[in-house]
Amino acid sequence: MPKMKLKDIISPFYVWQRSFEKPYTNNKPIDERPGAPSYRGFHVNDIEKCVGCGTCETICMNNAIDMVPVENLTAQVGDSGLRPRFDYGRCCWCALCVDICTTSSLRMSNEYAWVTDNPDDFRFTPGVDEKPWDDHPLGYRRDPDYSLLKLERPAMTMLSAEEGLNSFDEVVHGFTPEQAIVEASRCVECNICVATCPAHMNIPGYIKTIREQDFEQGLRLLYETNPFSSTCGRICTHRCEDDCVISHLGKPLAIRWLKRYITDQIPAEKYQQILQHKITENGKKVAIVGAGPGGLSAAYFLRLKGYQVSVYESAEKAGGMLRYGVPTYRLPDDALDKDIDYILSLGVSIHYQTTVGKEIDFQVLYDENDAVFFSTGLNVPSGLRIKGEDHPRVLSGLQVLCDVASQRDPGVGKKVAVIGGGNVAMDAARVCRRIGAEVTILYRRRIEDMPADPEEIEEAQAEKCKFVTQAIPGLIEKAKSLKQVVIQWGEAEMVADDNGGRPRPVLQEDKMHTDSYDCIISAIGQAGNYSFLPEDIKQQLVSQRGKFTVSNHQQTSNTKVFIGGDIANKTADAISAIADGQNAAIGIDEVLSLGMGTK
Amino acid sequence: MPSISQQPHKFDPPLEPDLTSGKYVKIWHGPQHPGITGNMSLELTICGDEVAHCKTHVGYLHRGFEKLMERRTFIQNFPVVCRIAVPEPAFNEYLYAAAIEEIAEIEVPELAQWLRVLNLELMRLASYLMWLGGSSGSFGMTTVYQWTVTHRDYILDLFEEMTGARIYHMYITPGGVRAKLPEGFKGRVLKVMQGVEKLLYEVEKVVFNNHVFKLRSQGLGIISKDMIDEYGIVGPNQRACGFERDLRKDQPYLVYDQLDFEVVTETESDAYTRAWVRYQEMHQSVSMIRQVLDKMPEGGSFHADLPNVLHWNVPAGETYVKAECTRGEYGYYMVTDGSEYLQRIHIRGPSYTHAVSVMEKLAVGINIADVAGLMVSLHTYPPEIER
Amino acid sequence: MKSLINRLTEQFKVSLEKQTKSDLCFIRVNKDDAEQLIRHCRDHESYTHLSFLTAIDRIEDNKFTLTYLLHNYQSHQSLGVHVELDRENPVMHSLHRLWGQMATYQRELKEIYGIEFPGSPRLNDEFFLEGWDQIPPMRKEFSTVEFCEERFPIREGRQSTDAKQTMKVEIYPGRGE
Repeated sequence: MPKMKLKDIISPFYVWQRSFEKPYTNNKPIDERPGAPSYRGFHVNDIEKCVGCGTCETICMNNAIDMVPVENLTAQVGDSGLRPRFDYGRCCWCALCVDICTTSSLRMSNEYAWVTDNPDDFRFTPGVDEKPWDDHPLGYRRDPDYSLLKLERPAMTMLSAEEGLNSFDEVVHGFTPEQAIVEASRCVECNICVATCPAHMNIPGYIKTIREQDFEQGLRLLYETNPFSSTCGRICTHRCEDDCVISHLGKPLAIRWLKRYITDQIPAEKYQQILQHKITENGKKVAIVGAGPGGLSAAYFLRLKGYQVSVYESAEKAGGMLRYGVPTYRLPDDALDKDIDYILSLGVSIHYQTTVGKEIDFQVLYDENDAVFFSTGLNVPSGLRIKGEDHPRVLSGLQVLCDVASQRDPGVGKKVAVIGGGNVAMDAARVCRRIGAEVTILYRRRIEDMPADPEEIEEAQAEKCKFVTQAIPGLIEKAKSLKQVVIQWGEAEMVADDNGGRPRPVLQEDKMHTDSYDCIISAIGQAGNYSFLPEDIKQQLVSQRGKFTVSNHQQTSNTKVFIGGDIANKTADAISAIADGQNAAIGIDEVLSLGMGTK
Repeated sequence: MPSISQQPHKFDPPLEPDLTSGKYVKIWHGPQHPGITGNMSLELTICGDEVAHCKTHVGYLHRGFEKLMERRTFIQNFPVVCRIAVPEPAFNEYLYAAAIEEIAEIEVPELAQWLRVLNLELMRLASYLMWLGGSSGSFGMTTVYQWTVTHRDYILDLFEEMTGARIYHMYITPGGVRAKLPEGFKGRVLKVMQGVEKLLYEVEKVVFNNHVFKLRSQGLGIISKDMIDEYGIVGPNQRACGFERDLRKDQPYLVYDQLDFEVVTETESDAYTRAWVRYQEMHQSVSMIRQVLDKMPEGGSFHADLPNVLHWNVPAGETYVKAECTRGEYGYYMVTDGSEYLQRIHIRGPSYTHAVSVMEKLAVGINIADVAGLMVSLHTYPPEIER
Repeated sequence: MKSLINRLTEQFKVSLEKQTKSDLCFIRVNKDDAEQLIRHCRDHESYTHLSFLTAIDRIEDNKFTLTYLLHNYQSHQSLGVHVELDRENPVMHSLHRLWGQMATYQRELKEIYGIEFPGSPRLNDEFFLEGWDQIPPMRKEFSTVEFCEERFPIREGRQSTDAKQTMKVEIYPGRGE
């Protein structure tokens, strides 16, 4: 029992002093009390910015988020058209969804009071279902100084420009195992890129196999849609990377290099054992004209379905543009051969140096086979359409590349002008640099207008190709020496297009230059050559702007004839040709095995 | 292996009184009882108004966090852990983060460490204020409860501003913290601290210099020195018994080694002394918060670089991390197997022993009116028992 | 900590599992020696404080691992003692006479993992659970998701849409397989 002290009796009466103080409480609803500026209140989503990647749904630990279709919003390349719907019966306002949002479209307002008599109201799609707090400027946002996503790529080791100039060795070394895992773990598995890839490869699927170090499974996934994975892992135009959701805030995943990494891990002799392709012959025959990526891809997929496939190729070796148009420092022969050898190993018969229309008639193929697929590519260089272009010192970019690939001397001399801004122009220029020439690239528009891959442009610049942009060639003349040629070109001014198109170059007649070169390489485009087609079949084929019109499965109006590759698609790249090959195989199979037309 | 001898032993549970004798009545204290901390109940057998036997019952929270965390990824667990102890979520956040950081060898930036200490000490103060209110309430002084909860709310306002939420801050993430301090925040903290100090001055007059409080709490629930280690008693409960043990001093974590403070100890070890120890620690927290604001770096990174959290395989490992929470040693025992999920997590809360074995022992022989007072004097949180 | 481990290995059949940091290490001992070892640590090595006892379900090895975590207030070091139990028949000697709170831990482990501690007081009293008729819930094979799906309906209208499928249908119908 404590001793009683007077102080302990009096002291507690201090309580009374408080009765004169104002209350601490708020007088709701008269006094409003807004949430703190960064309070985690109700969600706000900028649906214009959102691309429906569903990463918020993945990270939500309460399963409070569903991705739902939204009225007036359809899927398009790079956007699934879905938007997150929140179930506030489950949400705990942890804001992980905001932190991980790949586009920063999702945030929270500082509003925290919401009264409604219908519990289903608490399931809503922010940004779509209008809410009073949609315009509140305050609320939680991810602090830009931290991110739950990895936004930077590991640096790829490459040959330096000086080293590159001295050899035709591959410039890009490929990822190290550590880099590959770091890069693969940046993927959020949203599947948005799958729609962009012309071949619709299972990209998140094979990236996952890198994280799991299961390269055999990775190879199997690659070969489901693309028998040219080793090649595409090097030279693909990688449009998937343009739509990678990580690209909204950071560097997109290096999907191309990751694909290459998988194929680099597995030696060619193991392919058969891993892929375990079992072929049941179905007794039907298909002829394929052109052993480029389109033709061989069709051959691969048809062969898997049991067709007897004969490929006719005019060149000495298979690969088409991949072999004769892409220099070995981008795509070494052994990487290409790895892919081609596997396709051929499945029992595809190939006739080299057999030009259809010369050695064998198209009609024969047509009559002797159940279907014909051709993807003969664009191999006729377009002319410069200027006076004097038939000068013997005007070479075509394709020819130069082909000569170098076949280890012939292209005879370009020491001082070269390349005209054009596409990949062929860049490749031709870089090849010439490697055989010791000084190179000037003349292009009508600006660098940012060049259709070539940005990496190619950067590497060409690093290799000291001289870029002269907004230069329009006017006239080609004889030089004093037979080994030289003179070109007149004028400076151009970019004029905005009134119809909203891209700006046009307009020649300024008063700013003309005259230069002399050892040769001029024209690389401004290519066209197809269809002289091998018999007239009656040619009549049946519909073409538009130089490209054949085909069905989803590459079928023409002649149900037996299928076309793919650069001559049928707008994108004119390897991966599109490969996709065409696959779809042609599906179409041919539908026609031949099910006896139905294709869509 | 020796078999358990049949001789009675001090740790054997006390024999239950014979209810058929007619001398005893069994009553339930809780789970819905304002004098109980949280949702738990005491099964009391009383003889007159004296408690003859006490059994603790938990299980009213129905949670199983440890199990739920095994099927969530490492980042997904971060919003879960704060729910384990409602009045004191920050310690859970910190320990969960610290355990991962230790296993995954993540270096936490200095600014983040200071911000964590600021967060933890504000949390300690808020939690003590709530306890102080509950404690006064349990001894019949509900007015004090209004005061302390008000000031706790002022701290919650600070949390709201600092972290984006009042109770479940989700601020301390693996790798650092989630945000920098807002503009002018320090000044507002200092202002709230002034208010708290004024409040503490008043509380001293009204609670600690109060004959009624002394009458009821002095001599109540005395914990003997032997019991401390025998029952694993920690925190203010052991410091009130004369043990100078405080993890912030003994095994300093974060930046506690750069703060100036003395471990508070007393010797009486009854309910009053325990309250007095906590009261002094509140002053200590106020002083630490001022030191932190004073010493913390102005800028710098507040979050370490993590791998993509969607594919985060924390390496295989095992660790036990602990921190001094308001009730003593709070620990996370984490076992990982290199996958994206936890192999096991065990959360060690001080109330596990305080509210079960210690409570059952101390309750015997006290007046039934003092049961609530005894319980708050041990400062128990049932959520720590049933994680 | 090294000298402690050396002293312990001289007297008991223990093996060092890992030292995670300077003030924490884990040792393994077989179940029949555990009581003696732990008692020795408590009485002669100043490991007077029991932080906790818990179990880990190592279903892949068909084992339970018990962890007794002891603490030395003088040296501020902690010692984790691992004891492996057969998962099919998990029985451990009851150590409730070493610490006052041990019985509670053992009671919990009985309930959530089904580990027996013969002789432990109130071992079979319900602890968290009430009227539980399933397998002990912390065991790895117990699925909380299945448990919930069996008992509670999913809220109507909760349906997520697959982005890959939607984009296939809307952007490239008929292309690819």
